[in-house]
Amino acid sequence: MKGSLLRIQALARLVIVDGLRRQALLGLVAMALGVEISGLFFFAFVPRDIGLVSSDFVVSIGWCAGMVFLLFHAVGVMSWGEDRRVIHTLLARPVSRTEYVLGVFGGLLALLLLLNLLLGFIGFGVLWLIKGWVGESYFSQLNLGGYLLSWWGVLSIEAMILSVVVLFSGLIRGNFTVLLMALSYYFISNGIPVALETVREGSPVMRKLLLGLTLVFPNMSRFDYKDLIAAYGHWPATSTLALNLIYVLIYCALVLVLAATVYGRRDLK
Amino acid sequence: MVEFDNVWKTYAAELGSSRNTALKGVSFYLPQGVTLGLIGANGAGKSTAIRLMMDFIRPDKGIIRIQGRSPSESSLRNAIGYLPEIASFPASLTLMDMLRYVGATHGLSKDALSRQSERWMRSLELWEARKRPLRSYSKGMQQRASFVLALVHDPELLILDEPMSGLDPIGRAHICQLIQALKAQGKTILFCSHILEDVDRLADRLLILHKGEKRFEGTPKELTDQYGTTDITSGFLRSIGMEQV
Repeated sequence: MKGSLLRIQALARLVIVDGLRRQALLGLVAMALGVEISGLFFFAFVPRDIGLVSSDFVVSIGWCAGMVFLLFHAVGVMSWGEDRRVIHTLLARPVSRTEYVLGVFGGLLALLLLLNLLLGFIGFGVLWLIKGWVGESYFSQLNLGGYLLSWWGVLSIEAMILSVVVLFSGLIRGNFTVLLMALSYYFISNGIPVALETVREGSPVMRKLLLGLTLVFPNMSRFDYKDLIAAYGHWPATSTLALNLIYVLIYCALVLVLAATVYGRRDLK
Repeated sequence: MVEFDNVWKTYAAELGSSRNTALKGVSFYLPQGVTLGLIGANGAGKSTAIRLMMDFIRPDKGIIRIQGRSPSESSLRNAIGYLPEIASFPASLTLMDMLRYVGATHGLSKDALSRQSERWMRSLELWEARKRPLRSYSKGMQQRASFVLALVHDPELLILDEPMSGLDPIGRAHICQLIQALKAQGKTILFCSHILEDVDRLADRLLILHKGEKRFEGTPKELTDQYGTTDITSGFLRSIGMEQV
């Protein structure tokens, strides 16, 4: 068990070091930071609810940067095997395929965490400055708890998408196809709550079917806490938060088990 | 040490191509301390055989044993040093990063890793370049870096897929010397190569594959005797049914 953890850690470290040295990723971070900071100059154009708009803006930038990371960097790293047979170099060691899946997932998740921490820290500074510059009626509160919860929500969604990217990379060859599948997954996940709303009064069979689909395509909106940052919104119950946390952990674990099974059975040509 | 017993491998059909049977009931045995040269034309099944030994792919039928164990046991790779045909590394890593990964996965102590790494990096003239990104290495340097990674944990069995691939004559001579030194240490070596001159120089035994079938297994002398030739190139060509090119 200890040996297994050490091997997963070694692989995760490799993924982190590789990510931190990639110029494309550093460019993404620089661009996201630049856009976040530009919020300082654009908030003046917002006529009202500056707090709501700017907090939404800051968290959305983090979300966009995370999606770019997932759809390009994560998909690229997962297709190491297919494109350049790097996977052969990595698996020529006493590393099982399950350890490979967990190590790469762990490394990519750590990079996502770093990205969110950096953008979250700078973003909080941006919001704090804006709040200081405008009147109470435009930006009534800057709730640190709500802010942290918002970023936790972003990270939760990103972790679920990352686990799905890992699974798709095992099932499908070619990173462009994986990218398209991951995008489709995201759009379906966002579309199901809308469809559920539409059939609220309609066929119970359809409603059950859509509800069943939410087990595969999670309702991402339940992790959206942005409104808690600047407005006195309704704080979710502790049980809801705990449920969401358990949901993310179980979802990622199940998808990773599936991914490890797929990787364990497939040929790595 | 390595045993193939009636191994079959067919690759599934992909869009625009039909099913391809890469190995058709291949059996052979590689005893400990022997160097086996695996030769064959393109598409003979050499790389498939090596990937099966490394558990990158799985056989459809037949049994593969290395040290009496199945290749799917990941701990078995503590005893194997693998050199891929094309050196492939994550783009921005250095040789030191890769060595740390190798050390951690093989459970080498910091001291042992440092000692062995320095020994092989100096021996293969990569010491000065150890902190440079691997992508900045020339092809020959990447091949030598792969050798360092294959040897640093002091494996008993070396599986080398085209070890001379892309090397200039000096690089080839260097690698030939290295393989001879490893042979002298009693390592078991399996390598495949298109350069029959190198195979003749290094291999104790030969395994000839052609279109997925075994055509010959034995010593170079047995090959020349069997086919009535004076060199292994002619013997190889006759074994695959080509009298002359």
